[in-house]
Amino acid sequence: MGLNLPQILGQLEKMGAALAEQQAALRRLLPAARKAFEHAAGLTYEELDAQVKRAGDRYRGARPTEEPLLAVFEPPPLDAGLVVAGADGSQIYPDRHASALYFAIQVGGLAMEIGSGLPPQVRTQSELYYQQEDLHDQEGHPVGNAMINGRRDAQEMEALADWAEAFAGRPFVALLDNGLLLWFALQVREQNQKDVDLILQAYLGNLDRLRDSGGCVAGFIDRPRSADVLALAHLATMPPSGVSDQALRANPFRALTDRALFEELLRPGQRSACFIDSSPLNEDFRKKRHEVLFFYLKTDSRGTIARVEVPAWVAADTALLGRVHAAILDQCRSTGGFPYVLVRAHELAVITNQDREQLEGLIQQRLLESGLGARPSQKATTKRWTRSRRKHQL
Amino acid sequence: MTSDDKPIGRVTRCSTRGFVGAVRLPEPEWPVFGTFCRAEAQQGHSQVIGLIYDLSIEDDELARQLAATESLSAEQLADSQVNRQVPVEYRALAVGYRNGERFVQSLPPQPPLTLAPIHRLSDADVRKFTAKLDFLKLVVAVQEIPVDDLLAAALQTAAATRPESERRAYLVEAAAECARLVGRDLTRLESLVRSLRP
Repeated sequence: MGLNLPQILGQLEKMGAALAEQQAALRRLLPAARKAFEHAAGLTYEELDAQVKRAGDRYRGARPTEEPLLAVFEPPPLDAGLVVAGADGSQIYPDRHASALYFAIQVGGLAMEIGSGLPPQVRTQSELYYQQEDLHDQEGHPVGNAMINGRRDAQEMEALADWAEAFAGRPFVALLDNGLLLWFALQVREQNQKDVDLILQAYLGNLDRLRDSGGCVAGFIDRPRSADVLALAHLATMPPSGVSDQALRANPFRALTDRALFEELLRPGQRSACFIDSSPLNEDFRKKRHEVLFFYLKTDSRGTIARVEVPAWVAADTALLGRVHAAILDQCRSTGGFPYVLVRAHELAVITNQDREQLEGLIQQRLLESGLGARPSQKATTKRWTRSRRKHQL
Repeated sequence: MTSDDKPIGRVTRCSTRGFVGAVRLPEPEWPVFGTFCRAEAQQGHSQVIGLIYDLSIEDDELARQLAATESLSAEQLADSQVNRQVPVEYRALAVGYRNGERFVQSLPPQPPLTLAPIHRLSDADVRKFTAKLDFLKLVVAVQEIPVDDLLAAALQTAAATRPESERRAYLVEAAAECARLVGRDLTRLESLVRSLRP
């Protein structure tokens, strides 16, 4: 039938009014948030760190580094001979209503030699998974979408590591669309520890390869919604004896984003200080010397704020950190604030609905040639009946 | 895989009068106007011979964004021109079919299979197919396409598959056949003959 627009239209007016009021309320809150952040910036690193330790495992905000909280950094010049690579992935999830049970992962990537005038190197790696050991986890349960996402993320990192090694000896920056932490691990680790650990180890192994090749890597998050730095600002306002669960939950800046704060604090091209991500997952990364840090970056004159995540070995090296900073800005110039290599990596990776239908058709053909029945489920068939319409034409 | 073996797309829509192919290829590999091509029909027992008469390229937001930016780098330009797999759709007119080793220059008994791969016709097959000129009347009969330009492009393509010593004679023969088909319109015929000059 399609979306019931007459029913929705009436609700849109209320939505518009509510969003306008929410935005106004957040704008009223921003000065207080900025004041809290400036207060936090007035504390020493040791005082802040002690406050974070008092909060313990209950605290999920940013942890400070030794960079002053209010510090802003201009980009250095681009390195001569710089290579920038990006990777992105997409997938077809298993569908029990399809003609056969399978899933697919496709990873696309682009490596660009800045200033060379050469067409970038491109790659698209596509794999079909249909064996029983791929379709089930180590407990024998059907593999879930989160696990497939994890495999995809690991393959993206592998593509970047391959390029880092191919360009070893040259300044090299690898970019991922999204953060560096493998969030799928948090979602499914309890139920699938062995499988998750396998994927995590593969991912961290590729981060090792990137580091060992002399390259650097960053995760680029567009329109970040996190409020990790604001959580730190709120924590800093508490007296040491007042740090408690209740006090932490009473964060008045929870509805705001770090992005709103840094839109005011940064000028185009500037980055913020680095902070440490306090997700429990970062502990696995820290053990392998890949603890994830992040900073905010104003990528263009329209005020676009991105969150950029880097491993500790990049953050600790001024040259590498500056290289990431400069490379991202260069990549964002022609695309209005999102790195060109990631735009193209997405294009090389994407699997469209048309692709899926075409693949389904080819699979049915192969199954028939192999003497197997090739029929989607009746549910899938009836969905197609109601999907498209034709006009009569003479 | 030779360049003739490599598919230049797959059939999306078709009828006995022709078919539409779609492909994502970088610019250097696009098929050209006047190319002879083939696609399987009748469960693989025959091949429809097509003559490409229209190519369209979809632009997209990225191309428009890059075209408008002042910050386009040489690498991004090279990427767009060499790497980007731009969606190309082309239309081919059915000008005959192959049944075994025999070419027949009339409308095929069935259209190609949906999603059948489309291949360029090899030089040897173009030469064999165009040894007879009956296919020209199928081109002239169509109203909605650039007939004269297509005739000229197809005949120049056919001539190019022949040894240099034979090309002039072939084009003269082709011009005579065109005169028979469009002779009532002398202006049109003159323009066509000019475009066939070797």
